Amino acid sequence: MNQQLQNRHFNILLLFGIAGLVLLFRAMQLQVLDDSFKIKADAVAMSKYTIYPARGLIYDRNGKLLTKNTPVYDLMVIYNQVSPKMDTARFCRLLGIDKEEFKKRLNKDFRRDIRYSKIKPFVFMSRIPPVVFTRFQESLYEFPGFFAQIRNIRSYPVSNAAHVLGYITEVDEEDIKQSKGLYSPGDYIGASGIEAVYERELRGTKGTRYVLKDNLGRDIGSFQEGRFDTLPQSGLDLVSSLDIGLQAYAEELMQNKKGAVVAIEPETGEILAFLSSPTYDPSLMVINKERGDNFRQLQKDSSKPLFNRAVMAQYPPGSIFKTAVGMAGMQMGVVQPGTGFTCPGYYVNSGSDIRKCRSHPYPARVSTALQWSCNSYFFRTFKMIVDKYGYTKPAAGLDTMVNYLHRFGLGRPLGIDFPGEKSGNIPDSKYYDRMYPKERGAWRSPTIISLGIGQGEVELTTVQMANLAAQIANRGYYYIPHFARFFKNGDEAIPPDEKFTTRINNGIDPAYVEEVAKGMELVVAAGTARSSRIPGIAMAGKTGTVQNPHGQDHSTFIAFAPADHPKIAIAVYVENAGGGGRYAAPIASLIIEKYLKGEIDESRKWREKQMRDANLLNPRPRRVTVRRPVVPTGETTAPDPIRN
Amino acid sequence: MTVRDRGIDWMTFSLYLALVAIGWAMIYTVGYKSGYPDNFLDFLETSAGKQLIWVGISMAGFFITWSLDAVFWRNFANIIYTASLVLLVLVLIFGKTIKGATSWFDFGGGVTFQPSEFAKFGTALALSSYLGNYSRGLKSLKHRLYAIAFFLAPLLLILLQPDTGSSLVFLGFFIVLYREGFPGWVFVAGFLLGAILVAGLVNPPLVVVTIIALAGLAVYFRNMPNRHRWWTLALIALCIAAFYGFKLGYGRYTSIGAGVALLGFFLYHWAGKQRDMAVLVFLSFIIGSSVAFFANFAFNNVFAPHQQERILVWLKPNEADPQGAAYNLNHSKMAIGSGGLVGKGYLKGNLTQGNFVPEQITDFIFCAIGEEQGFLGVMVVITLYILLLGRILIIGERQRSDFARLYAYGVASILFVHFFVNIGMTMGLVPTIGIPLPFLSKGGSSLLIFTVMIAVLLKMDARRI
Repeated sequence: MNQQLQNRHFNILLLFGIAGLVLLFRAMQLQVLDDSFKIKADAVAMSKYTIYPARGLIYDRNGKLLTKNTPVYDLMVIYNQVSPKMDTARFCRLLGIDKEEFKKRLNKDFRRDIRYSKIKPFVFMSRIPPVVFTRFQESLYEFPGFFAQIRNIRSYPVSNAAHVLGYITEVDEEDIKQSKGLYSPGDYIGASGIEAVYERELRGTKGTRYVLKDNLGRDIGSFQEGRFDTLPQSGLDLVSSLDIGLQAYAEELMQNKKGAVVAIEPETGEILAFLSSPTYDPSLMVINKERGDNFRQLQKDSSKPLFNRAVMAQYPPGSIFKTAVGMAGMQMGVVQPGTGFTCPGYYVNSGSDIRKCRSHPYPARVSTALQWSCNSYFFRTFKMIVDKYGYTKPAAGLDTMVNYLHRFGLGRPLGIDFPGEKSGNIPDSKYYDRMYPKERGAWRSPTIISLGIGQGEVELTTVQMANLAAQIANRGYYYIPHFARFFKNGDEAIPPDEKFTTRINNGIDPAYVEEVAKGMELVVAAGTARSSRIPGIAMAGKTGTVQNPHGQDHSTFIAFAPADHPKIAIAVYVENAGGGGRYAAPIASLIIEKYLKGEIDESRKWREKQMRDANLLNPRPRRVTVRRPVVPTGETTAPDPIRN
Repeated sequence: MTVRDRGIDWMTFSLYLALVAIGWAMIYTVGYKSGYPDNFLDFLETSAGKQLIWVGISMAGFFITWSLDAVFWRNFANIIYTASLVLLVLVLIFGKTIKGATSWFDFGGGVTFQPSEFAKFGTALALSSYLGNYSRGLKSLKHRLYAIAFFLAPLLLILLQPDTGSSLVFLGFFIVLYREGFPGWVFVAGFLLGAILVAGLVNPPLVVVTIIALAGLAVYFRNMPNRHRWWTLALIALCIAAFYGFKLGYGRYTSIGAGVALLGFFLYHWAGKQRDMAVLVFLSFIIGSSVAFFANFAFNNVFAPHQQERILVWLKPNEADPQGAAYNLNHSKMAIGSGGLVGKGYLKGNLTQGNFVPEQITDFIFCAIGEEQGFLGVMVVITLYILLLGRILIIGERQRSDFARLYAYGVASILFVHFFVNIGMTMGLVPTIGIPLPFLSKGGSSLLIFTVMIAVLLKMDARRI
């Protein structure tokens, strides 16, 4: 064997060696240097299933169920696992769709739409009714790439409290982006009301199951014995403060009227009833095919049923504001509980500006002034407040009072557990400085005198009004009104946010608050709301009639009862209903009576019917429902521009 | 000379056993997720069980072979070869067609036999016997052609089945010929033509032609009488110019320019005293260009769509249909790639167990190693193979008879082609050619024949015939 052929022996060995190295290098490239194969492999051979938790249920304060969960089925698909050979015709027949629809649902814009990916599951068809689904499920295995997911949607055993409960809706792209992975397309999220505020507590935690798949998309077992799987955790149940019976009754009384009612339990701040009228049936918001139409209808409705008047409408308070002015005035020392002013039936503001009052007995005390809702008395009190530090320094006086009003929870959002709460408007010196610039002559107490009787620029939300009543009921303190009594996690009760159990002092000497409470008691016993007396219950209240340049006056009333140990405080606001004693006070008294006695006294049944049947919506049907046996009292209907 | 028994070469035997054991373990893991029956008899019905039976049969085959005299194989080489050719003809007539190839004898009861496996053994014996005869060798063209005919005959018969993969394996015998002194330039020329052919399949012929022309120029430059540096620079500049020429869409002019330059040099050298080289280079250019054009023409006009797809999958995987022809390769690559450095662990490969890769336990068994054992496992298996191949070559070189040496090279060549093509195929280095990975893939005929081939080799080595 010559030398050259010996070399060849070596060359062959070299060839084998190099070939081995080439293979090794290629393997290194695939396995170590490039991880895209691993990612792809996981995508084809592993499916991540989301197991949806049950959303927390919402109960009323007596344990009545307000929202429940109803299962529906979503058919999910992983595009890349769909077999091109599948029997599309049969598939469509089972689901009751046509081929076009099938194509439309399957072929998403994978390149641009971030919600869809060919390797990740997306919703092919959502909310399949159980009847259709059961039939389809038997054949599900024939269609690799498709799988079913059980979901819960809300349904409503009662048809009340729509605004309070709110509704859930599918997350949009913005929600998904902001949640940092918490939400995925097709998830539901609380969009308004309690559902939105307590989304975090109610939604629960999604579970995940990783399942290994074979080439036909069939499950072949869990990934790593389920080490990475998690179980879903149900959301917390919420026991709300709402009394659904009371709520339903209030809604009944407020039907065909625009306005709001907020009732609070003063000693806890728990909201007993909360409504904005007109309202709607929460079942309209159940996630189903009709929901879109229902929603559009509600949006188009000129009476704006979706607008939550209880927190979003900022109403001028009218005479109910006198309670606040009285408290601030006494605390600032400009009047004493026993201070009396003569009321000649009018009030001379400045020069020719003379404001009228009604004829009523002499307001010897703050309480008497409230009883008769004396305008002159509160104009004077307010003037003294503003001019406390001198006529030329109205800012100091006004801002001191504004400070108290803020402590009453007026002029800024109370921080209740409800979305969309407006702040109302308590104008301070800066506000008037902007309104009346120095160049055009500064403002003085007569400029803003209307404030003293709750007219002018001042605006409150109904919740703030109810809270004002609650703190007078409590003789000087309140808890932030709230819906959450406690959360239930199985048998464990979890208290709501601490701020709702923290007592907030309103900064007024209890003796002064007592004087105002006394006045409110007189309002009902023998004053402007005496026609709304409840037999056997001492109710304290204050009427308000709000001048409305656009039409009928607004009728408002705040109250609490029983006067000495209040169990309920309430604010009722009825738009375009006339005097405070005419609608707001009777409605408030009926709600209170219902709450405290469980039923309406026989002697007041006609009132109940009258209120329930009254239709103040435009166009107002021309029909008189009930002939009233006695002439309604309350405030006079004198055509004065300013009334109490 | 007395015949002394040196005993078995333990290293080879151990490597062989190790590979068989790894193979069985991998076949077991692939079927793991589908579940195995508790009953042993039922277990034997599964793939892993059947392979266990075949391992037993192969072991028996090993010892039967070991018990035969080594001389037997030399004496019966031609008979075995002839028998294997007869079987290859018979299988075309009586064979069973599976997946379009008439490659199997079906004896019923699930017992099948693939004569092409047997033919590898027969051809290795006969070729060794022919070339081992001192009077022949590879000195004349006639003997060279005869030698080639020995493996060309089974190659063509298998091509008729048609089983392209198995037939191509026989080209591995060229390694034996190389070892025995077959002219080296044939290999170089063959390799170059092969490269041009492959390049011509999917690239525009003009590009290939230009590259060939530039290569021709390089040969001229290298042989310039005075090797000035600027020639090299000029060539580099030409290459860059050609690259941009194509990139900017002046492909035709670039090709013509390169051709004209080559022609100029041809004339220059022709005028000088280097006519032989000038003719050689220019002929190469003409042939190479023809091959490139032919390959491209064939690809576009002769090849069936599924063949085009297969070639695309290999050479331009991104242009192939991922759910079609590229499916196997993609999933094979995914399975191997997902193993990472250390793998997912034994019995935990979800892709291989999920049947994502077709032919998982036969041709694509390597995926299971890649996925479950990772790069480290791959390294071990490849190292075992290279050690085995190297050891066989060493055994071959220490034989006293040409026959035994040639046979050793024959075994090594066949094993090497299987090893490289199979593993290369699973990773996309080599086009998808369905041949098993020796000792590892499931398949009775294959395991038995390779075992016998190794046994015969070890017996020869023990006897040093």
